Amino acid sequence: MSAQLEVRGVGHVFADGSPGLRDCSLVLGRGRRHALLGANGAGKTTLLQHLNGLLRPGSGQLLLDGQPYDYGRKGLAQLRRRVGLVFQNPERQLFSAQVEEDVSFGPLNLGLDAAAVRARVAAALDAVGLRDHGRRAVHHLSFGQKKRVCIAGVLAMEPDVLLLDEPMAGLDAPMQDELAALLARLTARGVTILLSTHDIDFAYAWADDIHLMADGRCIASGPAPLLARDAATLQAAGQRQPLALALHAHLVARSVLPAGPGPRSVDALLDALRCVPFTSSGKTPT
Amino acid sequence: MRIETAAYASRWQGVAPSAKALFALGGMGAAWIARQPGTLGTLAAALALTALLGARVPLRTWLAVALPPLGFLLLSCLTMLVTFSPDEGWHWAGALWPAVTRTALRSLAMLAALLGFILTTPLPDLLSLLRRLRTPELLLDLMALCYRMLFVLRQAWDEGVTAQSARLGYRGWRHAWRSTGLLAGQMAVQVWQRAGALQMAAEARGYQGTLRFLPALFPHARRQNAWALMGAALLLALAIGERLGAGA
Repeated sequence: MSAQLEVRGVGHVFADGSPGLRDCSLVLGRGRRHALLGANGAGKTTLLQHLNGLLRPGSGQLLLDGQPYDYGRKGLAQLRRRVGLVFQNPERQLFSAQVEEDVSFGPLNLGLDAAAVRARVAAALDAVGLRDHGRRAVHHLSFGQKKRVCIAGVLAMEPDVLLLDEPMAGLDAPMQDELAALLARLTARGVTILLSTHDIDFAYAWADDIHLMADGRCIASGPAPLLARDAATLQAAGQRQPLALALHAHLVARSVLPAGPGPRSVDALLDALRCVPFTSSGKTPT
Repeated sequence: MRIETAAYASRWQGVAPSAKALFALGGMGAAWIARQPGTLGTLAAALALTALLGARVPLRTWLAVALPPLGFLLLSCLTMLVTFSPDEGWHWAGALWPAVTRTALRSLAMLAALLGFILTTPLPDLLSLLRRLRTPELLLDLMALCYRMLFVLRQAWDEGVTAQSARLGYRGWRHAWRSTGLLAGQMAVQVWQRAGALQMAAEARGYQGTLRFLPALFPHARRQNAWALMGAALLLALAIGERLGAGA
């Protein structure tokens, strides 16, 4: 796994004196799905803003493809082309009146000509399933649609790394599924994704790697199947064990299911249960 | 909000704003040239019917938007007709009736032309047209941001009122005044926070000091402009014909 983004011992203190990050370190492997988990105030959003160059570290450094971040005008423009950030609240990201206009904002800032921008806007709206909404007013859209416009606005810049700040917050279950499918398509195209979330079940089901944040530090990073079993570390980050794993452990203890690697989701666990034949007494064989 | 909703629901929403502006300008020019009440009335009726029947603007919306300026017009006409002189005191100036009629009908025709434009053209399209007409970028950026913030703040205000109402914040006029004051104060903080958040969001997408947006594309603009020019020419011909006929 080659490192695409690296955070080395980064510290950040806000203007009011409160600490945002403390000696935070983590590595994002290229083309992988990363989930950033942590309680409120753990420093997830602060870290994402550092990765996009919106905030500068007070100490430590960030690297893209092994090179330290360049905070000069050109360097930042190049960084933000390659590392896109989708904010949590769409009302705070969308400032154009019309969908197409807002999505075109980033590509136009890259200095592309109108034809190239139009092509990118169309492709980005297509990717988020809003192709027919380009001429609609932003304030006429639902929350979920606004969120998708935000994602399209960043996708139109064709970033190598996509950062999403709690993308599932406020979305209903079908919309969450749609977003997960979109993220799967992006990963298939080789885009590295890092999303922050409070939802350990989603993170465990979706991510290749999980990074746990607590008190401004990344206290653990690792492959999702391994880290999700580490109950003590999860607890230190204010997280419980994924439901699918906890259920699986109970079912194994009662000899309903054979021991082995736990399923990644409750749906997968149900599929495994359906494969277990019923006995005539209504009990599963041991 | 009513204008905004009508513009997006209009059958002419997809028509090039340049075409609608040309037609409205033609109507205004014709109203400016014409002098006879009959011609001015015809122009006002033609322009209003174009919006109502052509663009399918609902009559109720048209009337609701037209009412405030019409009220202002009525008041102005009354102040012209009812005058004061030291000898006669307050009296009805019947001699001014023809001039007042002409002014009122001309204003009505101008208003109808303007309503036909704004009730069928969403603001983003209007901004796009103004951008093509080389309006200063700073002014357009301000218009775009104000327009967007209007809806963001309205939503924030509505949410605030709902939250206050749920905790009996509007029970009695004293509570209502206090709640409104608190909310207005909170809005100032929200404006500041949201402005900061928008700045950060813009920087995250490569903002470098200028808001750049992709202009909307109207593939049939040339044909629509031709039709609008024909319509405008017809209205102007009506007005000019009337003036020439009156002069002969």
